[in-house]
Amino acid sequence: MTVARGPLVLLVVSLAAVTGAAQSPSRATVEGMWSDPPVTIVATFCASWCTDAGIERLNALLDNPANDSRPLAQLRAEAAAYQLDTYVKGRMTPAVLASFPIDPADDPGLLRCEPWGLARQIFAPHQIQIRRLANDRVELHYGEWDAHRTVYMDGRARPAGQAPTRLGHSVGRWDGDTLVVETTGIAENQMIWRARHSDQLRVSERFTRSDDGTMLHLTATLTDPWSLREPLVIKRTWRWAPTSTIEAYDQCKPPIAVKRGVAP
Amino acid sequence: MTVARTAVVLGLVLLPCAGAASAHHAFSPVYDSKRTETISGVVSEFRFVNPHAMLLVEVKDDTGRKVIWTVEFAGRLNLSEIGWTKDSLKYGERITVTGNPTHVVSHQMAFVKIVKADGTVLEPAAAQRADILEEERRERARQRTESK
Repeated sequence: MTVARGPLVLLVVSLAAVTGAAQSPSRATVEGMWSDPPVTIVATFCASWCTDAGIERLNALLDNPANDSRPLAQLRAEAAAYQLDTYVKGRMTPAVLASFPIDPADDPGLLRCEPWGLARQIFAPHQIQIRRLANDRVELHYGEWDAHRTVYMDGRARPAGQAPTRLGHSVGRWDGDTLVVETTGIAENQMIWRARHSDQLRVSERFTRSDDGTMLHLTATLTDPWSLREPLVIKRTWRWAPTSTIEAYDQCKPPIAVKRGVAP
Repeated sequence: MTVARTAVVLGLVLLPCAGAASAHHAFSPVYDSKRTETISGVVSEFRFVNPHAMLLVEVKDDTGRKVIWTVEFAGRLNLSEIGWTKDSLKYGERITVTGNPTHVVSHQMAFVKIVKADGTVLEPAAAQRADILEEERRERARQRTESK
């Protein structure tokens, strides 16, 4: 372990010892169960996805005395709209802008209980459990949709001729205490902000633990020559939640009727 | 009459605002967040499941006929995080539920608030967190003022 991170790290190491996982202490820094972030303004802003531009905007709004009488929800919504309009939308190509934003009534997750693709799943709310399954792979298990991703740590290439899949092919490596995951082979689908992407999407994820050990931070860089003029850097946060459990996700039922054209 | 309709624009809705954690899909195509309805009845079933917990409430309409209302919640984890369990609502329990009605379907709503017979109020996680976040904001404003 390169940095002492207090009792929480010790807890993770102890958990690994109980489960028999022979992992190096440095790798234990991000392994374990994480859930919704602590209840602070910025952390909850980044509970699903956020950007540096959005965080800066939110802080600027909060630091302006003229906004003290405005509802907090209004300031959060304004910062969220700012990051979507100026940062995310500003990097979209004309091809994707033509269908942006996708009507939420057309969401396959709603209409057909179809699990999310990678560019939504990695920003899904609630838990992520990171654990090493074997020497050559790490599993990312999400509470939303009970989704499982396998990250191959031996750098194996995506099988030749394999068609793109919903969650793609992920390879990983450790950069010190940071888990780095590179994913390709992702089937066409939607981003979390209701924009389409192509099967040329590549996602690079960096998972790091906060210095005090209580939070997990993700920085994801998305590139897609069809939908993005330049890479998008998106962030999110989880809270250390060793007692949280991921429950069955098997009672999804499509709605009887939906109304189109109603913004979320 | 046990069903009261209130046409108000809610400041507090089931779905968190943009940028915050959301359910596995937007509720807006199904539920009308600009309207609320309130029903009173007895619990006939509470399903504490993912992706959305479901509550069935037996309500008597104007003619005395029994009608089953369905109340949809956020996911099980959302509720667990604020202390709910599968026993939070018990069979036969009398409750009053306020929710957002659907755009189209009758006798179905998205949970906004439940009041039990003993006066206990159950609200979504977002409502409970709002007080904590507002306190952080007030403290931030106080520190800003004091630093001047």
